[in-house]
Amino acid sequence: MKKIFLLASALMFWLGCAKSEIQENYVPIPLEVEQPSNFPDIVYNLDNNLVTEAGFELGKRLFYDGKLSANGAIPCAFCHEQAFAFTHHGHTVSHGVNGGIGTRNAQPLQNLAYQSEFMWDGAASHLDFQPIIPLTSELEMGETLTNVIDKLSLDIYYQEQFKKAFEDGEINSENMLKALSQFMLMLVSSNSKYDKYVREEDNVMLTQIELDGFETFQNKCASCHATDLFTDQSYRNNGLSINPKLNDEGRYSIFENPNDKYKFKVPSLRNVEKSFPYMHDGRFATLEAVLNFYDSGLVNNGNVDPTLLRNDNTYGITLNEYEKESIIAFLKTLTDNEFLTDERFSEY
Amino acid sequence: MKIIKFTFALLLCATISSCSSDDDTENLTGKLGNIIIKFDNGVDDQDFIFGTSYNTSSGESYKLETLKYLISNIRIKDNNGDTFMYPSEKNVFIIDEADGNNAGEIWVTLNDIAAANYTEITFGIGIDQDRYALGADGQGDFLAKAEEEGMMWSWATGFRFTRLDGTYSSDTVTDEALNIHMGSVGTAVDNYREVTLSLPNMAIVREDKTPELHVKADIAKLFDGTTSVSFDEGYSQVHVDETTTGVIANNAMDMFMVHHVHND
Repeated sequence: MKKIFLLASALMFWLGCAKSEIQENYVPIPLEVEQPSNFPDIVYNLDNNLVTEAGFELGKRLFYDGKLSANGAIPCAFCHEQAFAFTHHGHTVSHGVNGGIGTRNAQPLQNLAYQSEFMWDGAASHLDFQPIIPLTSELEMGETLTNVIDKLSLDIYYQEQFKKAFEDGEINSENMLKALSQFMLMLVSSNSKYDKYVREEDNVMLTQIELDGFETFQNKCASCHATDLFTDQSYRNNGLSINPKLNDEGRYSIFENPNDKYKFKVPSLRNVEKSFPYMHDGRFATLEAVLNFYDSGLVNNGNVDPTLLRNDNTYGITLNEYEKESIIAFLKTLTDNEFLTDERFSEY
Repeated sequence: MKIIKFTFALLLCATISSCSSDDDTENLTGKLGNIIIKFDNGVDDQDFIFGTSYNTSSGESYKLETLKYLISNIRIKDNNGDTFMYPSEKNVFIIDEADGNNAGEIWVTLNDIAAANYTEITFGIGIDQDRYALGADGQGDFLAKAEEEGMMWSWATGFRFTRLDGTYSSDTVTDEALNIHMGSVGTAVDNYREVTLSLPNMAIVREDKTPELHVKADIAKLFDGTTSVSFDEGYSQVHVDETTTGVIANNAMDMFMVHHVHND
């Protein structure tokens, strides 16, 4: 018995040593951030943050790790679930640490490499800085960068993975944010039915109602939901009634420019079928409710986008029932199941 | 030999630990927990927002500044068919949209609920005749609260069960007053109604587990429930009339559903 015990301890000791002797060096195996032919150019400066296998893996681990929140239970993925295009399934607004409840609908995480500003009000002008906002928000993750770094530094996985992912191997906020960006940059949704149709791949055709919807969309929606990202990345006031409970003034809160009152970033429509509910406060549960709103629900809150002014001096986009139905059929061609189920991005 | 004994001990350990973590033997007798009910008002497939215009099926529209209703006699049934009635003196609540959080939810916390797995909830909309007959007896500060919140007429008339104040527009009028202040009318008209809702998934109440019932209330159903009503045709002012209050009371029964249960 004693002999067996000794042998076992020796074996464990040897294994332990062997493990620590393997140097976890920086081995950059680059990953390519896709540039789909129908997309605008990548705007993220990849030269400053080369996406590598190890960096992506690190970013993914961080994305799913509750350590980034004050109570250990609210990772980024809590409000950004892959199956719903990385939104918070069904939630109008989201709940964070200690029961805090936010004021805006969680946005999808997709095709971020091709955009220059983030959040509903554009508060983050660089992807690397975006995670600081939810991480430090009292209502969301309730943490500080310093405290998160302290927690990560005690974790053996992070001690090794930061070394693999970054040349200086430091566990610091710069590298943490860069790793999160590497994960987010890879979240490219570009293989929907629509994409295959416009790129003429696999003989994919749209049905008649989808084509009709596409045509109406181009005539009535595409001036704001422009390019194959389906956003012109501008900020606009679309004439939503003001929710007195939240009184969210949108982009106005960034620069306090009166022209920005109630303006929010034009959202992409990719995977819109899955990213319900809609609008900055999630007030509409269905696409039907959204189109009914554009047809007849706009209110003049003083700063509505002039492109929405109709000839009869009311605001809105006139849509008949078939136009609504066919636009929704078209929007569903933007659902990218390859992206929504891509195992590279899944927690398990 | 020692090794055999050791192996045996190890096996025994494994058996014991697997038994002790088995849930089938869980004894819940006398154990108590809490439930949170989140009332979430909406209109069809939209979130409810004060001052926002909503359409009815009859082509009229309305905007509200006040939205309140009374809920009482909450009881829940578990998967063994046993019903737990929340204590009567605490079992009446004013659900006021103005009390909602950022997500527009009004939370009602029920304490000291028997630990069990619940599958169904029943509650009343308004105040039943028995409670009304009690007068002030056993109602705690609810009377004062109802009075303060504008949920009472004079005592002879009784409580207002639903209170909606705002304006409506139709083909013929614009922004006319809309006031739905309906309840029972003394003992003459009984508009108390109850609804029973099955839970889409079980609510698991334990000493350390507080389930959250997300109850959606579709305000549109008040005007487009079992009976569709027109504001122009007698439903812009609903107070004590036997017919109109009864129609709104019945429509209110169609408002509620348990959208999901969130277990810890």
